[in-house]
Amino acid sequence: MAHRAEPPDGGWGWMVVLSAFFQSALVFGVLRSFGVFFVELVAAFEEQAARVSWIASIGIAVQQFGSPVGSALSTKYGPRPVVMAGGILAASGMLLASLATTLTHLYLSIGLLSGSGWALTFTPTLACLSRYFSRRRSLATGLALTGVGLSSFAFAPLFQWLVSLYAWRGALLLVSALSLHLVACGALLRPLSLMEDPVVGGPGAQLTSLLHHGPFLRYTVALTLINTGYFIPYVHLIAHLQDLDWDPLSAAFLVSVVAISDLVGRVASGWLGDAVPGPVARLLMLWTTLTGVSLALLPVAHTPTALMALAVAYGFTSGALTPVAFSVLPELVGTGRIYCGLGLVQMVESIGGLLGAPLSGYLRDVTGNYTASFVVAGSFLLAGSGILMTLPHFCSLASTSKPQDRIREAVETKVSLSKEEPEED
Amino acid sequence: CLGINITLFSPSFCYCHYRRDRNTVFLDSRSRTLKALFIKYIVSPFTSLPIREETTTKHFNSSLETPNISLTVSPFTSLPIREETTTKHFNSSLETPNISLTVSPFTNLPIREETTTKHFNPSLETLNISLTVRSSVPVEKNITLERPSNIELTCQFITSGNVNSVNVTWKKGNKQLENIHTNATGSILYTQYMFIITDSKQMGSYSCFLEEEKEQRGTFNFKVPEVQGKNKPLITYVGDSVVLICKCQHCSSLNWTWYSNNGSAQVPIDVQMNDKYEIKGTNANETRLKITHLSEDNKGSYWCRAAFPLGESEQRVELVVLSYLVPLKPFLGIAAEVVIVVAVILLYETHTQKKKKLTDDGKEFEQIEQL
Repeated sequence: MAHRAEPPDGGWGWMVVLSAFFQSALVFGVLRSFGVFFVELVAAFEEQAARVSWIASIGIAVQQFGSPVGSALSTKYGPRPVVMAGGILAASGMLLASLATTLTHLYLSIGLLSGSGWALTFTPTLACLSRYFSRRRSLATGLALTGVGLSSFAFAPLFQWLVSLYAWRGALLLVSALSLHLVACGALLRPLSLMEDPVVGGPGAQLTSLLHHGPFLRYTVALTLINTGYFIPYVHLIAHLQDLDWDPLSAAFLVSVVAISDLVGRVASGWLGDAVPGPVARLLMLWTTLTGVSLALLPVAHTPTALMALAVAYGFTSGALTPVAFSVLPELVGTGRIYCGLGLVQMVESIGGLLGAPLSGYLRDVTGNYTASFVVAGSFLLAGSGILMTLPHFCSLASTSKPQDRIREAVETKVSLSKEEPEED
Repeated sequence: CLGINITLFSPSFCYCHYRRDRNTVFLDSRSRTLKALFIKYIVSPFTSLPIREETTTKHFNSSLETPNISLTVSPFTSLPIREETTTKHFNSSLETPNISLTVSPFTNLPIREETTTKHFNPSLETLNISLTVRSSVPVEKNITLERPSNIELTCQFITSGNVNSVNVTWKKGNKQLENIHTNATGSILYTQYMFIITDSKQMGSYSCFLEEEKEQRGTFNFKVPEVQGKNKPLITYVGDSVVLICKCQHCSSLNWTWYSNNGSAQVPIDVQMNDKYEIKGTNANETRLKITHLSEDNKGSYWCRAAFPLGESEQRVELVVLSYLVPLKPFLGIAAEVVIVVAVILLYETHTQKKKKLTDDGKEFEQIEQL
């Protein structure tokens, strides 16, 4: 097959956007709506809430830690077989979960099996998307990631309805059927070969070159800090509202409003990221700073209007930073190394995600309310945005790198690495 | 002279009769004090005629003491030889004695003494509940009560100001209640009814009425606390176990019992019979019935009943038992749909690739021809 010089920026790329849309819905939408099962499982297994919430935590952790595996496999075999295999794994995990008789079964089936299935789907798909687009990369990523927001809307009531009809066992079985659509999404990912692919070499070589890439490492650290603060409000917003004596209906309404602004933020930021010249990292810094500020101000608000305004602001800015975060990476490391790059980033930033929610919970237990945890989350985000300022070409007006630059950079890195290897005679 | 009734200063010659009424305890209703007159007679040993009278009056504050005075009279001389006074001390927060003396109209001697004492059990808690009635709109207050308590009900009425023309009554159902205290300051009338609730017969509705031009009414409704179960049916599968929970907020029940529905009758669940049922109560506020190894005939209604000292209250929980095949059918349907979609996508792709290859081959062919 001929290697393309430029990503297609359209054509079959839009089908990849569609596939990524459904995949982010089926992976993260399911994870986010897992709270519906949480209540049922606590009652069914008569376990403490903390032990049941480990199911989702293990799933997220495996998905993020397993990302490099997914990336490496898709570098070698292309994204399609990897994602389809991941879909089958995820669905079978849910299927086995519906037959579970102890909590350990759930840890292994949903946590380990479905988690590894998700690891093989999400990262390769987003990386594939980045390869299909260059000029409209942010918009494509933003559109694809709206799947997360829309699915949270749709899946929570859907799962609730399934649970009311079939209890948690039947509902998990049907979520497994839903997850099978990941296989169909994987089938849509037609392989694409770009010019820089042969230069950057196989997965092993890519990983080594990435680990020596200064800006990439700084970016990973920044994203880890951002990740630590990012997930906290999702877990604690409703609890915080309950502390303030909001009634459940108004609280659910506020969460819906936040979800809508999250969606709008994703698309708007995606469009903006492509329209504004210069490195996308600057936009990422802007959105991250705004998210951090709105989070830090959240505990100060007591009136319903102020709280709603801040929540909407948080939703918009946090949604806005997601597509941009994914768009920065191809600019840093090039589309040739995107699979491995994204996998590594996901793995490292997952540490932040794992630490964030328990840290916030611990702060809540110690201080008695959510003020400290929101402020800490905001400060993590601000710290991350600070590190982003150290990325190359931050202050310049240069546009995104051209393919020749990327190939040159890849070749230079490879040459410098081979020079560093000790000479063996 | 053997009689107990002794008359004093009888004009008759039988001086052994002394009028007992002068040595009597009587209630002065105006000052609300109990007075006891003691009259001592010093009798001459030669003439046996009283030569001196000594009168002592003892005043008793009725809220503190009720004396019992008994005079023991010598059978030979009919003179009082011994006076015994026993005083009962009443703590006014515990007991309110009502002493009524019925006096014979002829002899002015008390013929009957009735003491009714209402005891407020100090080991029970006291509830003060009050209502304000402003217009002819009846006011109601619901009170949940689970154990015996002293009750003080107060109604506050706003009258037109003419205190004399008002008539205040308290009723439970159709029965009129007594022992009510009423006082008025300005145009506000306070009426109070105190009683003890000891069993379920005393639960119900107590109403205070103010009869003026328009009747004003306030009602106090006493009920046992309600039990909360689950509104939606619990769905389980064959072979699973389930825990049915009944809760009661702000109450500590004495006894919980579970019943299952057999047709239309309630059958109590026997825990000792087999391992299938297990009743666990983590605390007095809730009860849990665990049913293991569910089968399809375990479905239906279950009742939990809480027994309070003042009554019972129960709630229903519904259980549905499904077989695993029920959700399996939609699952297989969706799985089949996914297989079809994947096949369509892959077939479409091979189709377009074949087309592309044919056109590429055609182009190559043309180029070769041109060469």
